[in-house]
Amino acid sequence: MSETSTTLIAVSGSGRHQGRSSNIGRIVARMRKQPGTIVAGAFIVVLFFTAILAPLLAPYDPTQVNFDNILEPPSAQFWLGTDDLGRDQLSRLIFGAQIVLIVALGAVVVAALIGVPLGLIFGFNGGWWDRIGMRFIDMAQALPGMVIGLTVVAILGRNIIILMFAIGLIGASLFARMTRAVVLVERNKLYVEAAEVAGLPRRQIIFGQILPNLVGPIVTQGTVFLGSAIMIESAMSFLGIGLSSDIPTWGAMLSLALDNQAVAPHLTWPPGIAIVLTVLAFSVFGDGLNDALTGERRRLPRLGLRLAQAEEERAARAAVPTVQAAIGADTSSSSGAQPVLVAHDVSVALAMPDRTQARIVKNVSITVAKGEIVGLLGESGSGKSTFARAVLGMLPPGTWLATGSIRLLGEELAHRRESELAHIRGTRMGAVFQDPMNALSPVHSVGMQLTEPLRLHKAMNRAQARARAIELLERVGVRNAASRLDDYPHQFSGGMAQRVAIAMALAADPELLIADEATSALDVTTQAQVLDLILDLRDEYGLGVLMITHSLGVVAETCDRAAVMYRGRIVEDSSVETLFHDPQHLYTRSLLAANPANAESSGRLATIDGELRMEIDRQLDAFEADEAGA
Amino acid sequence: MSTATGDAMTPLLEVRDLSVGYETNGGFWGRRGIVPAVEGVSFEIAPGETLGFVGESGSGKSTIGKAILRLVSPLAGSIRFDGRDVADDGPRAPLSYRRQVQAVFQDPSASLNPRHLVAHSIESSLRRHGVTTRSEVRDRTLEAFEMVGLDRSHLQRFPNELSGGQQQRVARARARVLRPRLVVCDEAVSALDLSTQGQIINLLADLQQSTGVSYLFIAHDLGLVRHIAHRVGVMSQGSLVELAPVDDIFGSPQHPYTRRLLGATPASSPEGRDERRARRREFRAKAEAVS
Amino acid sequence: MLKLILYRLALAVPQLLLLSLFVFFLTYLIPGSPAGAILGAAATPEGIARLEAQLGLDRPWYVRLGEFYAGLVRGDLGNSYISGRPVVELFVERIPATASLILAGMLVAVILGLALGIMGGTKPGSIRDRVATAFTSVSMSLPEFWVGIVLLLIFAVQLRILPVVSYVPFDVDPFGWARGLILPSIALGVGGAALIARQTRTAMASAMSSRYIDSLTAAGVPRRRVVFRYSFKNALVPVLASTGLTVSIMLGASFSVEKVFSFPGIGALMIRSVTGKDFAVVQGGVLLIAIMIILINLILDVSYGLLNPKSRPS
Repeated sequence: MSETSTTLIAVSGSGRHQGRSSNIGRIVARMRKQPGTIVAGAFIVVLFFTAILAPLLAPYDPTQVNFDNILEPPSAQFWLGTDDLGRDQLSRLIFGAQIVLIVALGAVVVAALIGVPLGLIFGFNGGWWDRIGMRFIDMAQALPGMVIGLTVVAILGRNIIILMFAIGLIGASLFARMTRAVVLVERNKLYVEAAEVAGLPRRQIIFGQILPNLVGPIVTQGTVFLGSAIMIESAMSFLGIGLSSDIPTWGAMLSLALDNQAVAPHLTWPPGIAIVLTVLAFSVFGDGLNDALTGERRRLPRLGLRLAQAEEERAARAAVPTVQAAIGADTSSSSGAQPVLVAHDVSVALAMPDRTQARIVKNVSITVAKGEIVGLLGESGSGKSTFARAVLGMLPPGTWLATGSIRLLGEELAHRRESELAHIRGTRMGAVFQDPMNALSPVHSVGMQLTEPLRLHKAMNRAQARARAIELLERVGVRNAASRLDDYPHQFSGGMAQRVAIAMALAADPELLIADEATSALDVTTQAQVLDLILDLRDEYGLGVLMITHSLGVVAETCDRAAVMYRGRIVEDSSVETLFHDPQHLYTRSLLAANPANAESSGRLATIDGELRMEIDRQLDAFEADEAGA
Repeated sequence: MSTATGDAMTPLLEVRDLSVGYETNGGFWGRRGIVPAVEGVSFEIAPGETLGFVGESGSGKSTIGKAILRLVSPLAGSIRFDGRDVADDGPRAPLSYRRQVQAVFQDPSASLNPRHLVAHSIESSLRRHGVTTRSEVRDRTLEAFEMVGLDRSHLQRFPNELSGGQQQRVARARARVLRPRLVVCDEAVSALDLSTQGQIINLLADLQQSTGVSYLFIAHDLGLVRHIAHRVGVMSQGSLVELAPVDDIFGSPQHPYTRRLLGATPASSPEGRDERRARRREFRAKAEAVS
Repeated sequence: MLKLILYRLALAVPQLLLLSLFVFFLTYLIPGSPAGAILGAAATPEGIARLEAQLGLDRPWYVRLGEFYAGLVRGDLGNSYISGRPVVELFVERIPATASLILAGMLVAVILGLALGIMGGTKPGSIRDRVATAFTSVSMSLPEFWVGIVLLLIFAVQLRILPVVSYVPFDVDPFGWARGLILPSIALGVGGAALIARQTRTAMASAMSSRYIDSLTAAGVPRRRVVFRYSFKNALVPVLASTGLTVSIMLGASFSVEKVFSFPGIGALMIRSVTGKDFAVVQGGVLLIAIMIILINLILDVSYGLLNPKSRPS
């Protein structure tokens, strides 16, 4: 393609990840970890030296006409053969590198000189400047670059400066757009607001922010556009609207190759390969530079680690039956009612970048009976959500079930195949997550998503599923359910969207509902409504509910029993009365004391830090050491 | 808190009939409209007092904070600080005002520039406000850090090298270093875990005790506001529906919305939850019957 | 829906006005005069004056501007300086060849691009993603005309299984038309596929990590169905949003593909007019191409509205 204008330069995230972008050493260090970037960089260096040293390297004068050696195939004398005027192809190729690099570099400079100031003006002034200016940029970008280049050449004629200008004009819109994006992102940063409150003038803040933030994207954009400029230059030369045909350019060489294809096919290869490698080198290098600047890393575990994970999982799978037998006997004797969920000794491992693994959930056992609401209480990072995902069989990549058994209505779920789990999810257990506004696909109607589990699991036809979906929506308190079925998620408020998500989770009559911070993103009055709904549904259908939350209040209002998680482990599992009035574990006691709703309305809040934190950790360490010893 | 105020004192901040609106962006041709976010709100804050503002998202409580910080301009009404109407100062607030009114925002990591050492954010505030000698800048930065429970070793770090609680302490130090008289705390601890939340709350209380600073404490967590505020304002749909001393708000709420908000707030222990649930159900049935 | 179409049409009007004004004044940017440029070094002042009178270039700009817009309304873009034939006619007879090429190229690009993008985007970081990404990067660096030359060399010159001269009008021989389009559409489509693949991969990867995937999976919807029914439709939204740009880039690339396969298309006409200094044709061509791009974007915007409920006016 003659343009690679869609290359994504990471603008929005730049501030967050960069840390210290001014630190060139760090960027170079990052780039050195990307083998592709090193190869591309080396190629670019070699190319530049070839271009500079062209007169020394080329065996012949590239314009030397020699009628004795017309269209010769490659030979010891002419390594790459000759063209229809007997000119040496290798020499033309080497001098072609010189021309193409000069034109492309010139074009990048022109593009940046036109584009960056425009972007700054639009981004800063905003309002009408921005609106009208961006319309022009849009229009310029919508036109094929070739048409812009061709128009400039038609008007101004053909020489190297005009060619640079023509190609630069094509790229100017890219630079303008990128600059504006950087300005807008920095303008709206919270720390700009914070600095403004401190009394620093806005213009100075933004400039101080933008200039360092702009260097990276400009260099990256420049590198990527350099590749595009080479493509455009070659295409224009190929079409005969670039430089005059006796100047050696790769595009013109290909034009000759096309004319003499039948008799001299060897002319086709060298210029084409030269263009491909050069453009590829610049785009790979540009991408590498972008990654290094934004600090993006390949996140997935290495192959070696994944093999280790597979092995680990196999071992854990083999260990399950014995565990099963052990707890099978245990649960049947202890209580009469069949529990809905029995998780025993569940551990989840996480693959670390240094090829070791860490346990993020450790030996967690929990039971949920029919009609019981069991809380799983913990702070962020305590492993409570990971445990929920382990039960659902939806652990994120890089984590896996290391030990344990998960029985749902007596059926073992651990290490089941995805296809089997897919059927169990929905029919026996459903889940509701945080963030209701993103819990439904924005481009599908609510009805379509709600009928999905009905048609899949209940084998209903379209009309039956629709009728049932309306019933469900009415049950969870969505008014005018019939007419709202064809609405899209963005037409619902957060509370309503969460009701729809609950309806979807319960559509195929599961016995267990997992609510993972299901009300944390909602306002208090909406939260109360959604919690009441869950309570009502429990009463009506005898659902078992696993209520995962960080909020003591949610546990107090809804749970029959609650387990407290800390550092991946359950430190206490008590009835809700015991938990609040006679907490057994030091951590639970500390947590209750730190709750401002519990504290006296004046005086200091209890906190969990320093000595207390160390004491809790010490107790847990001792417990773990004990367990390891036993 | 023991620095509670007498009504006879002259207020530090006096807000009268404040209205704020946001412009909406129309289509391409920019048909703009104004969406009111706050309408006709009046209140005052005395020196050394903490005024809490509660309300649900979109109730306008944050907008009030922004108007006081001069990040948005009011459509109508006055904001008098120390007897002077700050709206008279034109679009740019004078430095003296900037120095005396500071802010702590919700997301501590976003309110610190990720590219600068944390010390830098504090030093630049100081320089801007006339502290120029190198040693004085250093001393006052360190002093501010020590006041919020950080030490010398934290100065030369980037924000992402600190924990959430530490970042919030840096934000506090920045607000503190200029010795302001009013600090607007907008959901300042909402993103923190319970265990870290308490530390920041205690820090705020300590600073108030030692310096007599006033707080406008904006939060959606009623338990938190109950703990820290002297008086509480309840916002709903852009209006201040009730403003009263903290014990009155929680003890004998007057406005139906306040009662509803309190009824919906999860209690701190399970006792009486069935009655609460029954009451909510009753209330909803009544509301449905009305509509 | 109708409202959206009307709104987009209303937006296109000022765009067209601006563009036509810009195009009109293009000839005034020529250093010296168009007539001087046409006659070249051998021009005499009398010769230039005569040619200017002949082409109507000696009249004041406002008269010519009025004439230009009067013509535009009638669908007349003036006559070629060289052949004297109406510019519109010249382009109309060449549209079928270019349109065939772009449509066929687009078909290749969409099929190949979506396949590559889904291959990588459904499992970012995996081996198959790396293969797809490498393939995409190389395709992006391939000059379409070189791909054309190589294909021609292999399949037409050496293997002789496909014709060298490609374009056969559809109404003359539909089979020959399709046969002739095979190589050019691949040459043109490979680069377009790379653009679409890149967009699709990013969009697919972000759709796969969205929260609603969790809800659907937890409701027991099988993975294959989640990917192809839900993620895919979500991923199409940003992909479609960038299709206008892809079409425009392919139109630019079609110029050199037309040269390789001797297509009697718009590109060939434009290049001939640039080298022959036929400014009337260049001017008309730029305007016609711009109108085409605006129309394509209009169609795409409307289909975007169909796909993305948020952009529908309610």
